[in-house]
Amino acid sequence: MWTRGPLRDAYWASRGAAAGRIHLEAMDTQALWLTLRLALTTTALLLVIALPVAWWIASGTGAVRALLQAVVALPLVLPPTVLGFYLLVALGPLTAPGRLIIRLLGHPLAFSFEGLVVGSVLYSLPFAVQPLVAGFRAVDRSYLESAAGLGLRPAGVFMSIVLPLSKNSILASAILTFTHTVGEFGVVLMLGGNIPGATRTLSIALYDQVQDFNYAAANRTALLLLAVSIAALLLIYGQAGERDSNSLGVR
Amino acid sequence: MTSAECAKLAVQFQLGQGCLDLDVRFVLREPWTVLFGPSGSGKTTLLRTIAGFVKPATGRIVAFDESVLLDCAAKTSTPSYERPVRTATQGARLFPHMNLRRNVRLGTRWHSKPADTEQLVDEVLQLFELATMSERMPHELSGGEAQKATVARAVAAAATNRERTILLLDEPFSGLDLRVRDELLVRLRDWLAVRKIPVLSVTHDVAEAFQLGAEVIKIADGKVVAQGPVEVVLAEERKRLLAQLGGANPA
Repeated sequence: MWTRGPLRDAYWASRGAAAGRIHLEAMDTQALWLTLRLALTTTALLLVIALPVAWWIASGTGAVRALLQAVVALPLVLPPTVLGFYLLVALGPLTAPGRLIIRLLGHPLAFSFEGLVVGSVLYSLPFAVQPLVAGFRAVDRSYLESAAGLGLRPAGVFMSIVLPLSKNSILASAILTFTHTVGEFGVVLMLGGNIPGATRTLSIALYDQVQDFNYAAANRTALLLLAVSIAALLLIYGQAGERDSNSLGVR
Repeated sequence: MTSAECAKLAVQFQLGQGCLDLDVRFVLREPWTVLFGPSGSGKTTLLRTIAGFVKPATGRIVAFDESVLLDCAAKTSTPSYERPVRTATQGARLFPHMNLRRNVRLGTRWHSKPADTEQLVDEVLQLFELATMSERMPHELSGGEAQKATVARAVAAAATNRERTILLLDEPFSGLDLRVRDELLVRLRDWLAVRKIPVLSVTHDVAEAFQLGAEVIKIADGKVVAQGPVEVVLAEERKRLLAQLGGANPA
């Protein structure tokens, strides 16, 4: 640790302020629950959206599929602040859809939890879709033909054959979406600001804690985010190992 | 065998696919017809065209004198799952995530009343001597058992369909122990005859065609070269087989 200087003074000052510490810990919990709520909502919504989109990409051909793939992959290469900025403008009173939302909800989507959900769904879209596309493509086409030869309609084939055979990919998609949403920063800051209880997620809280020189709190928050990420990756790779040894149950 | 009053299936089409050119025209009238020909003669492609998995350039396929499966001139093609055919594709193709019973039941769920199906599934499992292992997963079955189950699945699907249905079997008994095969194919032929389910099966096995006593369509280089009773159409093959067996006999 530092022996002298304003940083050290600020550090010890913040540590010493007992009342302030309790307040910060309370806010940590609030940020934790908000983050979990955001990540769970985003994951649930994205699974509903990503399943048909991924199936379309995996089984489709032509220019429409290429366009869809590009749109889905866009958040991977776009700076999160760019996505956040466009959403901020689009959801605000400057655009027709934004004004419609304000009229319907009575308040703008920006700087609200619902607005964060919209931003997270868009930002995590590739992380939900890509594992599903890979999983769907790995399903042996002859199974699909066998099922159609038994009179199963495409929806029946999807539900009875494709989904169960892709369950590891669905799990990977859900875990990646969840953890990516937990760790998102740029979109949240641009679109949500920093409102405790509404838009202040763990990653924003961490940034705040560092800004306040509250390194002890920052350490706790960072450790929590690190643990979530490692646990998620362990879950995914544990599953993958099982799949390799089991090879979908076919000998 | 008695000729039925209506044509079960009228097939006429031309198809160029890779190095294979199919140009066929035939009518099925007998309860069981065998499509006989050497490997690469287009037998499997022919079945897949009837099932709706391959689209020919020109042609017309009509089932039971009324159900138009394909009419290239009128630009109509019924999707495979709506065609009155049920198919067992070549080789053991059990869905790896379902036990044997659920595999056999899968095709019965979609076009029939659920109450009727359980009893029929039991009956089909007994017919194929699979009843004792019905709870096993596909990877716990031998190759022959999985092969039988693949055929049983299509048989159950055809028997529970509300519409009259043609059964398409691609090398249904290949890889089976000869004694098992001989018993099973006679039992299956009689069971299907009672239920008036016509069959078009593919084989390159002379003995199998004779055992069934079926009508034979002989196909070579993508063309139908003969159609008629097995004793007539395969007389030459029978003579050659007998000579080989005689020659193999040590004096």
